[in-house]
Amino acid sequence: MNHLSTYLIISALLFSLGLLGILQRRSLIGMLISVELLLNAANLNFMAFNCFLAPDPATGQIIALFVMGLAAAEVAIGLSIILALFRKMHSVNIELAQHLRG
Amino acid sequence: MGEFLKDPVFLATVLGTTLPFFSMAAILILTRSNPGLSSKISLAAISTSAACALYLLVKLHSAPPVQFRTLWFTSGNLNVTFGYYLDSLSLLMLTIVGVISCLVQVYSVGYMAGDPGCSRYYAFQSLFAWAMMNNVIAGNMLQLFVFWELVGLASYFLIGFYYEKWSASQAGKKAFVMNRVGDVGFLLGLIFLLIYFGNLEIPELNHAAATHGMPRGLITVSALLFFCGVIGKSAQFPLLTWLPDAMEGPTPVSALLHSATMVAAGVYMFSRIFPFFSVSPDAMEITLAVGTVTMLLSATMAIVSYDVKAVWAYSTISQLGMMVMALGAGGYFAGVYHLTTHAGFKALLFLCSGIFIHEFHTNDMRIIGRQGGRRLKIPMVCMTIGALALSGVFPFSGFFSKEAILAVLAAHPNKTWVAAGLLGTVFTAYYSFRLIFLILFPEGGIAGKAHGPHADSAQGNEDEHPGYIFWTMAIPVMVLAGATMVLGFVENPLRRFLDRSIQTLAVQYVAGHEGMAGRILILGSCAGLFGIALSWFEFGRKGAGRIGFVGRFPAVWKLFDRRWFLDDFFRKSLDTVVYGGLSRLSVKNDNRVIDGGIDGICHLTEGVGRRLSFLQSGMLQYNLLVMLLGAGAAIILLLV
Amino acid sequence: MQTLDFLTQTAFCAVIGLTVLGAMIAVFPHNILYNVLGLALALSGIAGLYLFLGSFFIALMQLLIYVGAICIAIVFGIMLSRPLHQEVPKRAVPKVALGATACTMFFVAAVTVALKTDWRPSPGRGEDLSLWSVQRIGELLLTRYELVYEVISLVLLVAIIGAVVTAGFSRRLP
Repeated sequence: MNHLSTYLIISALLFSLGLLGILQRRSLIGMLISVELLLNAANLNFMAFNCFLAPDPATGQIIALFVMGLAAAEVAIGLSIILALFRKMHSVNIELAQHLRG
Repeated sequence: MGEFLKDPVFLATVLGTTLPFFSMAAILILTRSNPGLSSKISLAAISTSAACALYLLVKLHSAPPVQFRTLWFTSGNLNVTFGYYLDSLSLLMLTIVGVISCLVQVYSVGYMAGDPGCSRYYAFQSLFAWAMMNNVIAGNMLQLFVFWELVGLASYFLIGFYYEKWSASQAGKKAFVMNRVGDVGFLLGLIFLLIYFGNLEIPELNHAAATHGMPRGLITVSALLFFCGVIGKSAQFPLLTWLPDAMEGPTPVSALLHSATMVAAGVYMFSRIFPFFSVSPDAMEITLAVGTVTMLLSATMAIVSYDVKAVWAYSTISQLGMMVMALGAGGYFAGVYHLTTHAGFKALLFLCSGIFIHEFHTNDMRIIGRQGGRRLKIPMVCMTIGALALSGVFPFSGFFSKEAILAVLAAHPNKTWVAAGLLGTVFTAYYSFRLIFLILFPEGGIAGKAHGPHADSAQGNEDEHPGYIFWTMAIPVMVLAGATMVLGFVENPLRRFLDRSIQTLAVQYVAGHEGMAGRILILGSCAGLFGIALSWFEFGRKGAGRIGFVGRFPAVWKLFDRRWFLDDFFRKSLDTVVYGGLSRLSVKNDNRVIDGGIDGICHLTEGVGRRLSFLQSGMLQYNLLVMLLGAGAAIILLLV
Repeated sequence: MQTLDFLTQTAFCAVIGLTVLGAMIAVFPHNILYNVLGLALALSGIAGLYLFLGSFFIALMQLLIYVGAICIAIVFGIMLSRPLHQEVPKRAVPKVALGATACTMFFVAAVTVALKTDWRPSPGRGEDLSLWSVQRIGELLLTRYELVYEVISLVLLVAIIGAVVTAGFSRRLP
């Protein structure tokens, strides 16, 4: 069971679930949560390759660390944007934000 | 090239025919503001040309035809040359054009004195002289056509000379357009000739052997197409209404172009390729018919006109019809001889009328008569001489040429033509002398002139009137009158001269039978004298009604006056066919098809955009969705 | 040894199950708090997986950063944006169907790639255990990957400033 392909499948599953969330959730925060899932799936992928294939295992971990850091930064900004949008629209329903409709 | 320049004949030809071009260029570019200088330049050029023409006539009158040519362009099998062909016909025409142009330009010095557009006038006179001279010595049909068109252009400029006057510019346009309509036929004839003959050289065209190769029907069609050009240029039926309108131009222009030379270009072209025409009897019959109709129609129009210039204009059309009749009946010499004499006395008539118009500032013959026209002795006498020539009275030149024509017509098996010719002679004499008598014996006597200074200007040295103006106008008139009196007696030398060019081409033509000549002579003279007597009866004698026998039938009078409603017919057909039909079609095409097409593309684009705008929902998730679907599809494709 | 193996395998499957369950809870329910909790669960599961992948450090980091900071921040966001009172309109069926199709396609594609490729370990790979230590990571961070380290600090700084400004602007507007 401790095989590379297992981890790859898990990460693919997580990524698909995250995609599903992004595509069909109407709440902005829900979308943000799904984005977190995406990032984590990618991170898992990196770590799996790092463990099984990479020459220097430290490199992969550093990459994973940086991805986590960036995810944190992204959440911060994302939340502040959601907040600003909430103040404007008084809702976090993304289907109400259609000003660019043409 | 060097030995050509040493040849005096070549030199004289080139000099004579291209000097007027340089004079035109010089006047238009350099001396536009100086009328005196312009007139001198033009006169110098034309006198040199006339001198060259006379020199050539004298030098080559007993020589075989001379031809100079150089290759102009080739296209496939076709070689088109540019050059001069000097045989008796072209030498004769060259002399006529040169001498009469010279006289008319001398006359213009007096007539156009003080006119602000004088330089322009002389420039266009030079243009005309150049174009006409090159036209008559052209060696091939294409060159002839090019200069034919240039002559039409010069005519347009000169008719519309007083361009600020609406009727003048309209008349110029009408003349040009009607000429053009005829030239369409001419061009088609040229194309026919090119296709079947492959060569446009005139000597070769006239050579009998060449035409034996072509099928008869084709020759008839080509000949008729060329005749279309003659109809346009020489004002035959139905394209004859431009010539009376062309009287809007100055009188010297009418004298030169529209009586003696330009309108004769059509007749000249006919005689130039006369052997070609004469191969097809059907074409000759048709031209005979057209010429007869023209002659009679325009003679009737002249009978009811009160405008001096209009009478002579209709008369020109009528005499041109007569020339065409002669040529159509096979009388080559008769047609050309009448062309020569007509040039002389018609120019004379126009120039005399010009003197009257210049004096009395009116074209109406009744007013001229009433204001003492007959007191101007020189013009009156010369005009009478011209009218006598026109009516065919012995011993003037017109008598001999008209007799020649009637003789040719009499030789034709169908006698209606000669009857028509006699009727035409009666009409001609009638209307010419109607004019003479209306001026000589005006109704109610001479009322005296409204303006003082021009009275009694017979001697021309009045204080207001510088002497030279009168004499520059009087001398050409007197020269022409002298020529009219003399030209009749050179018939036989001229016949021999012209026969040479026809004989060398070895084509048969109808010679006038000597047996009929005596009877026709008597009949012709009687017809002329009868016409004069009729007009005397109506207009000349004291107490005459001065209505004329046509005037008693107002409906007929109206028919003749309205030019047999030809103008109305043209106007109406133009309006319906061209404006109503073609223009409307083009406008519809422009609006619906072109505009519609382009607008349609716009609407299509806009419509498609509008339909597809639903894709821009502004919803983030749909964008992502589509992106992913696309990516997924791509990946699967790559995997599979 | 067998029992240890067996236990390890069971634990492995349990962790995987927890992760997937957490992910499903994070995506499917309508209640946003359930989603957050599901996310936390999933992230913890992933931390467990990192353990199985041999990196203690990263597992800890995962718990610290994601579960400890990000999930809390999201909860704060939920608190401030109050989505719980709002009614949820019906979902459009085509949207859901197309979304599901896209995700399934992607999943199939990824799995196919993962299974079909011949994964070969890189030749430079050794069995040196010292490479797995945290010390090694620290050394690399401050020597070879120094630039990236500094840059990410900068990124974090900018992100925080940006977050403050964005949230602050909208406050001033009426």
